[in-house]
Amino acid sequence: MSGLRFDNRVAIVTGAGNGLGRQHALLLGSLGAKVVVNDLGGGAFGDGKSSAAADKVVEEIKELGGDAVANYDSVEDGEAIVKTAMDAFGTVDIVINNAGILRDTSFAKMTDNDWDLILKVHLTGSKSVTQAAWPIMREKGYGRIIMTTSAAGLYGNFGQANYCAAKLGLHGLAQCLAEEGRSKGIHVNTIAPIAKSRLTETILPPDILANLKPENVSPLVAWLCHEDCEETKGVFEVGAGYISKLRWERTLGHTFPLGRQFDIDDVVKKWDKITDFTDAEHPKNTNDSVAPIFANISNPSLGGNEFIDLDEAVKGELVLESEYDERDVALYALGIGAAHDPLDNSELKYVYEMGSDFSVLPTFAVMPQSGAMLSAAKTGQFSMPGMSFGLDRLLHGEQYTEIHRPLPANAKLKHIFKFKEAFDKDPNAVVTFAISSVDEDGNEVAYNEMTSFVKGAGGWGGDRGPSGDINVPPEREPDAVIEEKTDDNQTLLYRLSGDWNPLHADPNFAKAFGYDKPILHGLCTFGYCGRHVIKAFSDNDPRYFKSIKVRFAKNVFPGETLVTRMWKESDTRILFETTVKERNEVVIKNAAIELFSEIPEDKPVATKQASSGDAQPTESAVNEDVTLDDVFSAVSQYVASKPDLAEQVKTGFQFKFSNPDTAWFIDLKNGSGSAGAGEMDKPDVTIELDTKHVDTLFGGNMGEVQKLYFGGEMKLSGNIMASNKLTVLSGMDPELVEQARAKRVAAGGSNETAAPPTEAQDTEITLADIFAGVGEFIASKPELVADVSTSFQFKFSNPDSTWFIDLKNDAGAAGAGFVEKPDVTIELDTKHVDTLFGGNVAEVQKLFFGGELKLSGNIMASNKLSALSDMDPKLVEAARDKRLQEGTSAAEASVTTAKREPSATAIFAALKERALSGDFSLSGSPEVQFNVTDPDTSWVITGEAGNWEVYEGSSDSAKTVFTISDQLLEALAKGERSAKDLYQHGELRIDGDMMLAHDLEQFKGLA
Amino acid sequence: MNRRVNVIGVGMTKFAKPGSSADYHEMAREAGTIALKDAGIDYSEVQQAYAGYVYGDSTCGQRAVYELGLSGIPVINVNNNCSTGSTALYLARQAIEGGLAECVIALGFEKMERGALGSKFNDRENPMGKHVQVMLDSQGFTSAPPAAQMFGGAGREYRWEHSIKRETFGQIAVKARDHASRNPYALFNQPMSLEEIMASEEVFDPLTRFQCCPPTCGAGAAILCSDEFAKKHGIDNPVYIAAQAMTTDFASSFEEQSMIKMVGYDMTKSAAAQVYEQAGVGPEDVQVVELHDCFTANELITYEGLGLCPEGGAEQFIWDGDNTYGGKYVTNPSGGLLSKGHPLGATGLAQCTELVWQLRGMADKRQVENANIALQHNLGLGGACVVTMYRRD
Repeated sequence: MSGLRFDNRVAIVTGAGNGLGRQHALLLGSLGAKVVVNDLGGGAFGDGKSSAAADKVVEEIKELGGDAVANYDSVEDGEAIVKTAMDAFGTVDIVINNAGILRDTSFAKMTDNDWDLILKVHLTGSKSVTQAAWPIMREKGYGRIIMTTSAAGLYGNFGQANYCAAKLGLHGLAQCLAEEGRSKGIHVNTIAPIAKSRLTETILPPDILANLKPENVSPLVAWLCHEDCEETKGVFEVGAGYISKLRWERTLGHTFPLGRQFDIDDVVKKWDKITDFTDAEHPKNTNDSVAPIFANISNPSLGGNEFIDLDEAVKGELVLESEYDERDVALYALGIGAAHDPLDNSELKYVYEMGSDFSVLPTFAVMPQSGAMLSAAKTGQFSMPGMSFGLDRLLHGEQYTEIHRPLPANAKLKHIFKFKEAFDKDPNAVVTFAISSVDEDGNEVAYNEMTSFVKGAGGWGGDRGPSGDINVPPEREPDAVIEEKTDDNQTLLYRLSGDWNPLHADPNFAKAFGYDKPILHGLCTFGYCGRHVIKAFSDNDPRYFKSIKVRFAKNVFPGETLVTRMWKESDTRILFETTVKERNEVVIKNAAIELFSEIPEDKPVATKQASSGDAQPTESAVNEDVTLDDVFSAVSQYVASKPDLAEQVKTGFQFKFSNPDTAWFIDLKNGSGSAGAGEMDKPDVTIELDTKHVDTLFGGNMGEVQKLYFGGEMKLSGNIMASNKLTVLSGMDPELVEQARAKRVAAGGSNETAAPPTEAQDTEITLADIFAGVGEFIASKPELVADVSTSFQFKFSNPDSTWFIDLKNDAGAAGAGFVEKPDVTIELDTKHVDTLFGGNVAEVQKLFFGGELKLSGNIMASNKLSALSDMDPKLVEAARDKRLQEGTSAAEASVTTAKREPSATAIFAALKERALSGDFSLSGSPEVQFNVTDPDTSWVITGEAGNWEVYEGSSDSAKTVFTISDQLLEALAKGERSAKDLYQHGELRIDGDMMLAHDLEQFKGLA
Repeated sequence: MNRRVNVIGVGMTKFAKPGSSADYHEMAREAGTIALKDAGIDYSEVQQAYAGYVYGDSTCGQRAVYELGLSGIPVINVNNNCSTGSTALYLARQAIEGGLAECVIALGFEKMERGALGSKFNDRENPMGKHVQVMLDSQGFTSAPPAAQMFGGAGREYRWEHSIKRETFGQIAVKARDHASRNPYALFNQPMSLEEIMASEEVFDPLTRFQCCPPTCGAGAAILCSDEFAKKHGIDNPVYIAAQAMTTDFASSFEEQSMIKMVGYDMTKSAAAQVYEQAGVGPEDVQVVELHDCFTANELITYEGLGLCPEGGAEQFIWDGDNTYGGKYVTNPSGGLLSKGHPLGATGLAQCTELVWQLRGMADKRQVENANIALQHNLGLGGACVVTMYRRD
């Protein structure tokens, strides 16, 4: 015994006359507790009343040396029971609510009496006794209370509606009392026992009951009642020696943002998520319970409606790609009225790409992204998360465009569209998207903000946004004014730059929208304005242009005259406003252009110093930096150390590095995985990257890797999502790379870029592993030899090695070298060994019919190899692991050809005897020679009838020369193979007179 | 209705080794154009086309025939392994003989890869599956080219049964080289000695390299017509098909565990018997034979299959020179598959071409004297065998 005792503790055990209660009472009593043994003395069904049971238990406790008194009151009268304790022992420390009865009946037939009685005894009874003891415990600051619930209550059970309700009620009672008693040192725990008792013996079969002894429950109860036990509020399932704790589990669920309507359909849509226990949590109390609810309350929905869902919008982004070249640039310039005078040198540079000063108009920066968006919209591909309205609702309201340096004449760009903000101008909405256009090196080329008026999409009760105007021009006269007439067909020219909206071309369409004729594109006017400011304030040098912000106020019709009035607010800031001269209407307002004070650097500063030159070793010097070899060598080691990785990840990664160009792979798909140089078969994803970014790639920071991708520095093809699985390598110890580097440097930098690291190879399965595995398997199945009775000889090529599986002799064996008299010999390239033992007979046959697998001997016997098909592949892996542990390389494990004693000597000796005795004869009087191979011997038979001579040696006058291996000569001599069969198989070669070949059948019986 | 079928035009390309030929449709154009010119008719007169080839996607036949003209006639693609060409000829003959057409063309072409034959579709049952099984059971499988193992295996079996010398097979190749040296259309034009033949690399005992036909590219064509058509076009005394039979495998190919039977000996024997029966003449009346010598071993057993010599008599037949000029027959005056080459789809029509030339007395240096009855034997594993007898009165 551990010494855990209950001396001076007073325990009340209800229903202690029999079963569990009795056992609890006996155990506590035997450990020093003073026990009130309560038992009404009734039957299991609440019938009758007798004092005998309780008295008997009191006697038993006393016999064990304990102290106990009996109490015969109903548990409904808890005061009386507690009074017994107070009278006898002066206090109460422990209450074990155990008493109970059954009134099982189906719910349909259940009477009020059935219901009330059960609830009274179990629930009210437990409450009654506990409540009577409660003030005593509170006062002394100590108490241990046990409630007895049941699996029926926790999980439900047929025919026990009353009992289930009462039992789960007890659980609820205990949960509450645990909280109320927590500060007073009162611990309340609940057990759900299963034991043989008067209550269960009518339900369970006797053989099970025999194992469900109450003695197997009481130790848990005693511990929970001990002063050392800190457990409270626990629920335990216990029985037949099994004890476990139960807790609540809750799915992560789904949170509908508050402030947004959701209805039955939304619930159904989210049902899978609501009921998905993946990553479930385990709330312990009501605080835990309501935490997500309060969290949702404190993070209300950003709002939205059927058109605009701000909660979705803030989370999402859209990436589109586009490219442009000089032609697009020039066409755009023409579209916004540049070089209208073809002899004007100041603008010819915008359209004449062969000129030395060919320049891109800065406002072109708005075009690639809007072109990409419109192009995507045309095919229905433009869909911003959370935005569910058609382009027909959209009215371009404001535009902000910024560049960091003059735009290149051509570029391939990636545009990242993000939602910036939305305002509720009920009934309409104003939405702003921010678009970052980055080039292939990840440098931002242009930043745009497009603010649009969305008709009818407002009304979600959101912020109306700032009111008041910005960029309001001063009262004074403008510092410059430029007036320019647009052409009548201006829109037709401009639209070729990408905005295909028929509103700008189709007169009927325009009429339908209430215009007399097609209107000019807002961004076309925008372009005119940009040109005007450049002309007026930067001496026609577009390189000073930094940004432009405009608000589109009214439409312009092509052919109208634009008047741009400009105010210089500072050297770098120009406010402007554009009106249509003919109608005297302001069309662009609240507008400003910012200029650089100095022309920015033409080329972007490289984000990281290129290290292509020194990332690879030169021929003479050892590169001490970490190289790709080191990295992949380390990955290879890591993969080898985690044989389960491939099974989990099931993905093949192909890497193509540039500067310098190299190819590497991480195969977490085939076998137990590998990594190394070169290309793998059918990768899931291909990752292209500059060598300089390799640190980032394997640095474990997914955010940095994503940046490379979105910045266009990393290209993915194939299954792009599969690239995420690279994170499995994040558990790799960076020290491995350092070790690989150190090892390489120490080895004088032998850095074979094209060859996979050797460390990886040794971890691969070798023939030695396979045959060791087969050997294990054979040892585990002694009946195989009798069943199969066949021996297999394997001759592998590339590299050459010889192995055998003997399922014929003794207990069977497998290993390197030769088996005596194999039934079948299998010749195969080592690379096909997986197929051979892969268990797929069709694949093996393919090798055979393809001529890659050569069989000799009893070919059909090769089928018996299938006896190995139920071998556990783990045996091979185990053999490999063992080999690795023992540090044996594959080369050391392979065994060279075993020596074989020639059989020919004995056979020809026997032949000589037979010839002497006249039992052997060749046709005619010829001379024949045998060339026996493996081991090589040569024999001659010469003479004539009655006088044959057999000797070892050779002859120049042999009429027939037979060539056969020593082994097959023995097979012939033993009669296992016929001469014809050997000949037809090409195993017996016959040069010269064939007639004599038939005489070879006489060799039968010579061995 | 059994009408006489005349062969009024033949043509072939010079056979070439893989990689040095024109494309298939160009070769077909050349052979077809020569055949049309030989017949003296315009392509518009041709009512149907039977185009044979083994290697190529579907409807190569059309593509090839379109080189001759686009008259919308039926074009039937024929694929029957090594006997493809004569199978096209067989169908063409049936069309004329049955009165279904007056003039048709049988065209065969093949653009082959280098190296031994192999299967292209390995994701399905091998058409030779049953044949291979016989081989597996009787001699196993080695890394040698499968066809060489099959025919070589038949050679082994023959050799065991009849105790012939290995050189007897080689002697057939010597003869083939000799014949081919007289044929400008042949791939190999140089004679070769028995020593050279035997000393060449052993492919599969008893076959050495020069006893195996080479992969070849080429095309052949024949124009077939009815008597009425020939008469209308003023064609006088044309070569005609006296008899023709086609067989496929019998149970003996698979059930007798005999390599000789497996490679089609009984197909040959049965087709030949039918031809002799139909024509009313026996092998002894034949002067010139083009037979399927894909390997020397097959020529040897085919002598017996066609009844050119008694069973077991092939070795004697060969060493007596009864298979060449001055002997009982001239077999494969063209050089045969062994030396002229074996473009699978074209072979049957090249054999036809050679025999028509022989019967017309147009075979130049290889002309067989007084040839008026010719026999053609074309065999494919898988299997099919077509035996055709040509006559010119």
